[in-house]
Amino acid sequence: MSAIARTNVMDLTAPAIEITDLNKYYGTFHALRSINLTVSKGEKVVVCGPSGSGKSTMIRCINQLEEHDSGAIRVFGTQLDDNLGSIDEIRREVGMVFQQFNLFPHMTVLENCTLAPMLVRKISRAEAEATAMRYLEKVRIPDQAQKFPGQLSGGQQQRVAIARALCMQPEILLFDEPTSALDPEMIAEVLDVMVTLAQEGMTMVCVTHEMGFARKVADRVIFMDKGEIIEEAPPEEFFGQPKSDRTRLFLSQVLGH
Amino acid sequence: MTGPSFLRSRAFRRVTLQAGFVAGLLLLVLAATLTARTNLATQGLTSGFDFLWKSTGWEMNFSLLPTTTADPYWWYLLMGLMNTLFMGTLGLAGASVLGLVVGLMRSGRNPAARLLGTIYIEIFRNLPLILQLFFWYAMANALPAPRASIAFGGALINARGLYLPGLMVGPGTVALAVLSGLVGLGLAIWVLTARRFNRVEPRGQRRVALLAVLAGLIGAGVFVVLGHDPADAWVTLPALQGLKIDGGFRIQPEFYALAIAITTYGAAYVGEIVRGGFKSVGRGQMEAAAALGLSSWHIFTRVRLPLAFRAMLPILINQYVWLIKATTLGIAVGFSDFFMVIASSINHSGQTFEFIGILMAGFLLINFSLAAVLNRLNRAIALKGHQTTGSA
Repeated sequence: MSAIARTNVMDLTAPAIEITDLNKYYGTFHALRSINLTVSKGEKVVVCGPSGSGKSTMIRCINQLEEHDSGAIRVFGTQLDDNLGSIDEIRREVGMVFQQFNLFPHMTVLENCTLAPMLVRKISRAEAEATAMRYLEKVRIPDQAQKFPGQLSGGQQQRVAIARALCMQPEILLFDEPTSALDPEMIAEVLDVMVTLAQEGMTMVCVTHEMGFARKVADRVIFMDKGEIIEEAPPEEFFGQPKSDRTRLFLSQVLGH
Repeated sequence: MTGPSFLRSRAFRRVTLQAGFVAGLLLLVLAATLTARTNLATQGLTSGFDFLWKSTGWEMNFSLLPTTTADPYWWYLLMGLMNTLFMGTLGLAGASVLGLVVGLMRSGRNPAARLLGTIYIEIFRNLPLILQLFFWYAMANALPAPRASIAFGGALINARGLYLPGLMVGPGTVALAVLSGLVGLGLAIWVLTARRFNRVEPRGQRRVALLAVLAGLIGAGVFVVLGHDPADAWVTLPALQGLKIDGGFRIQPEFYALAIAITTYGAAYVGEIVRGGFKSVGRGQMEAAAALGLSSWHIFTRVRLPLAFRAMLPILINQYVWLIKATTLGIAVGFSDFFMVIASSINHSGQTFEFIGILMAGFLLINFSLAAVLNRLNRAIALKGHQTTGSA
């Protein structure tokens, strides 16, 4: 896939993500209740559910932006534990795209994209810039490379954020409501990029309310409510014959107008 | 409304108002000057700046370059200005470093460090600076007599001052050597941070920066060797000779008491500015950096500190200008800063207006230059574009 020498010890034949019996509390609030989820390499999973249902918390546990209280998370066979080394290893292979883009406002678009590859993967600036330009072309924004994030529209910023994540050449991409902060006319340009990535075989876990996107690219749709996975099914089945009442209620609210 | 139409023109009114204001101000200054002149003449005082070339006839107790009672006023004023700049530089640097530490302690997660930082700020921010200065000066004077000097690492400290070991070279040589080192350091910082070198490989950048620092140090070494009198020994160590200390370099208690007071008092304010700066950095940027796999050191140096610094700088400029002015308190303990030299000059020469004018011009020059340089930096690093994203 790339010329970057990888020093990781990840087992690419193991499931991409394996979550078993995951629990997370905020004080006394039980945010995640015994979550079990396996994502295989190349699979696209869409996670949906009402706000406060634990969707974001779950995917933020995968790269340890949130610490879990019990249960196990494995990424390509490497278990996340108290060992900081395992967190570093997993973060190198798991990219993340945020609702608020979270670009570094003091760096140009190009610098945003080359920072981590140079510091974490230790590649030269020339190589990092070549890679960055390749991915900026992929998200159709190469002409903005020398601009600053504050000079771009929301949709452009989110596409830069996707390119920035791709520059680390991760095996898995996590999307945390990538289109929720965007104006309607900008949602399509971001979704188009995500569809392209999906078609190229990227392993993706997307928290999103874009049901059209779920129908189009998801291998599986997961519905969460009150910290639990209520239902998981392929999109036709999920939208066609939802099993649970809560899923039906949610779908009627999201699709009802 | 009737009347000529130009009276109702907005542009005409604006121009007339401005012109009237400026003319009024000029008139006021002219009137004040003329009055002062007449009054001074009737008292038999001459105005003008001829006195600048007269020798002072009194001694200056601290100067970076040699002074004698035969030196003219302009030389004394220059030395006073240099003392103020020297004290200001030391005070600002010390307050910045200590303030950064205190601010980080206050914004960290360690409860013990947070408490310590809070106690520090509450004590040093809430006591008047002059009281703190008197405290440090009293502490310095309460040290033992020279006979019972406290020794540490070749240095001696007693009630007469702090005696440091040093190289046997003249003050001019020291100035050149320090300048050479600073130029090297400045070049290195410029190469590492200036946007124009952003496309250079970081390894090459670091190599050039290292070379600049080395060249600066070598230059400093060359200056020291050239400026050293072969007849002298290389180093001078302070030692007790009878009732006084011989050798070494004496730093008077007035100087270090003021330096400590400015540093510790300034650090309390800088600490709060630093804390505010770090607080303003959105969690989102740090999470994004963490998700990219950056180490906590890199998250701090590449994302958190640069963003916090941008938030701090405008307030820091204000604080720095304020601290420079605070060095004038040195007169309370007898440190020969610009203000004290002016005050003594007025006493000895009676040229009050001229010296007050020079005093104001001097401080305007220092603080205006400081603010101009820092404002330039502020504009250079300001975030581009108007959408500041991801404060969530």
